[in-house]
Amino acid sequence: MKSFSIIFSGLSLILVILVVIPLASMILSSDPEILKSTISDQEVVSSILLTLRSALWATLVSVIFGIPLAYLLARRNFPGKSIVQGLVDLPVMIPHTAAGIALLMVYGRNFFMGQAFGKVGVTFVGTEAGISLAMAYVSLPFLVNSAKDGFLAVDPKLERVARTLGASPWQAFFRVSLPLAWRPILSGAIMMWARGISEFGAVVVLVYHPMIAPILIWERFQAYGLKYAKPVSVLLIILCLLIFAVLRWLAERRKEA
Amino acid sequence: MLRLENICLKLGAFQLRKVSLEVGQGEYTVLLGPTGTGKTVLLETIAGIHRPDQGRIFLNDRDATSLPTEARHLGVVYQDYALFPHLTVYGNIAFGLRLKDEIGTGVRHAVEEMARFLEIAHLLNRRPKHLSGGERQRVALARALVLEPHILLLDEPLSALDRSTRDRLRRELKRIHEEIGVAILHITHDLSEAFFLADRLLVMKEGAILQEGRPEEVSMRPENRFVAELLGIENFIPAEIGEGGQVFLDGMGSVDMTVFSPNPAEKFKRIYLTVPGWTIELFPERKNNIYLWHGTMTVVNLSHADGHIEVELEHESKVRLRTSVSRREAAKLPVRLEPGSAVETGLIRDGLHWVPRDDDQL
Repeated sequence: MKSFSIIFSGLSLILVILVVIPLASMILSSDPEILKSTISDQEVVSSILLTLRSALWATLVSVIFGIPLAYLLARRNFPGKSIVQGLVDLPVMIPHTAAGIALLMVYGRNFFMGQAFGKVGVTFVGTEAGISLAMAYVSLPFLVNSAKDGFLAVDPKLERVARTLGASPWQAFFRVSLPLAWRPILSGAIMMWARGISEFGAVVVLVYHPMIAPILIWERFQAYGLKYAKPVSVLLIILCLLIFAVLRWLAERRKEA
Repeated sequence: MLRLENICLKLGAFQLRKVSLEVGQGEYTVLLGPTGTGKTVLLETIAGIHRPDQGRIFLNDRDATSLPTEARHLGVVYQDYALFPHLTVYGNIAFGLRLKDEIGTGVRHAVEEMARFLEIAHLLNRRPKHLSGGERQRVALARALVLEPHILLLDEPLSALDRSTRDRLRRELKRIHEEIGVAILHITHDLSEAFFLADRLLVMKEGAILQEGRPEEVSMRPENRFVAELLGIENFIPAEIGEGGQVFLDGMGSVDMTVFSPNPAEKFKRIYLTVPGWTIELFPERKNNIYLWHGTMTVVNLSHADGHIEVELEHESKVRLRTSVSRREAAKLPVRLEPGSAVETGLIRDGLHWVPRDDDQL
């Protein structure tokens, strides 16, 4: 029993350290002066804001389509359900640069979807819409799977009881299923947003300019070297840690209430 | 009130086979059957959660077969109560009223009145997870009853409770039924619950209704061995019908069953005599005509329980009968009850009946 605890704790600790060391060393070794000047670098700030904003849009739009899909996957049986489930998971599996190329082949100016959207004035290549599209494509599984688990955890009997009490399927969903599943949905949305912010491969193929932060880091690394790439990286990491710490704290706090 | 006509439904492992039943206005009907026999599926079909493959459902003489659940106006209480965990007790009870009355006038009044009636007024601000089993049960009842449903469907409502709470709540169910007068369809596998509550009893096995009637009626005249066993009868004496209609009990001689209604000789050659424990009398005082059979048997097994003794008797034909004797009765007997003692035994005709014997079906 004792050796079990020790070995399991030891192995876990090694993993945690492996995650923390690179982040910590980068943050600790950075010069506060350079960091300060990076914060006032207009290109860096607008690129970070663009990243946060595009990922947020990607998440918000995906919530509208992803929640119904998650609900159906949790509650209904339909032919081809396992195929749909597989498709949902697919973007996590494929290389994201490949995903970006696939998107380009469909949403590019000369391609089918690109032309259809072009007619209503939406283009994806080199635009913010394109960034959101690429982010959504590769990070959707986090939202859908988490929301699906959330709905699975709601006893279907509660929905049935709601119906016997006079609720329409819509009322049962909005008054029972959704309020009971919101926490996993929210945490899935946070994960999706986080995954969107950190996306590089899919976005770089579709939209190089305007530059999101991961691309900016890459460009500075390529053009000027490590010294110039690091402050932007540090800034982005600190910002992400802060945001997720706050969101996690909010979610946990509501749980205890 | 509620009428089902030939409901058939196959749903996973469960199946309903041509279920027809009727629950009258203000009637307390209990559906009795072993676990896993499709009782909950039937109840959810009535509630409109499953659509039957065949057959029709009528509520107040209106065809409700394809009516959505929310338009059926019936209340459901599940075994685990299915209270909404994100709402307070008040929110749970008010759930249906708020759907009807968005402004909320009258909601508070109705909720509080119902809460007082079910003695849960002090719990209105609590969350379900802070309630005891009995309290949850009352909240689930209040939530359904406050909408004045046509009929209340109860799915094993007492099974999850400890014994003393269960006894209290079943008296409570009786009181609710008497005071509100709502029609109730209550499903259970518990015989004593069924007897205590039912105006009418339906016995279900493997998705089919085997017998229905007043509880005393069903227990006095079970139509087959399954129903008899479900109603707690332990003793079945194999019997054969002779040419002249006499009934030969297995090695115990012949008895006169011509007064039985229906007379088994009219339809069957082989039957079981069903012998409820209470019909077995030790050392009958008068050897008169209240006994269908009497003779000598030997005590083979005894077990002492609180206040009574379980006795197993054996006839020389190897037929065994089980009964229980109160300690008071046992003290008055002319012999001490112990393994090997010979006891005069009489079977009281009034409580005896018969079921067809079809060995293949057992």
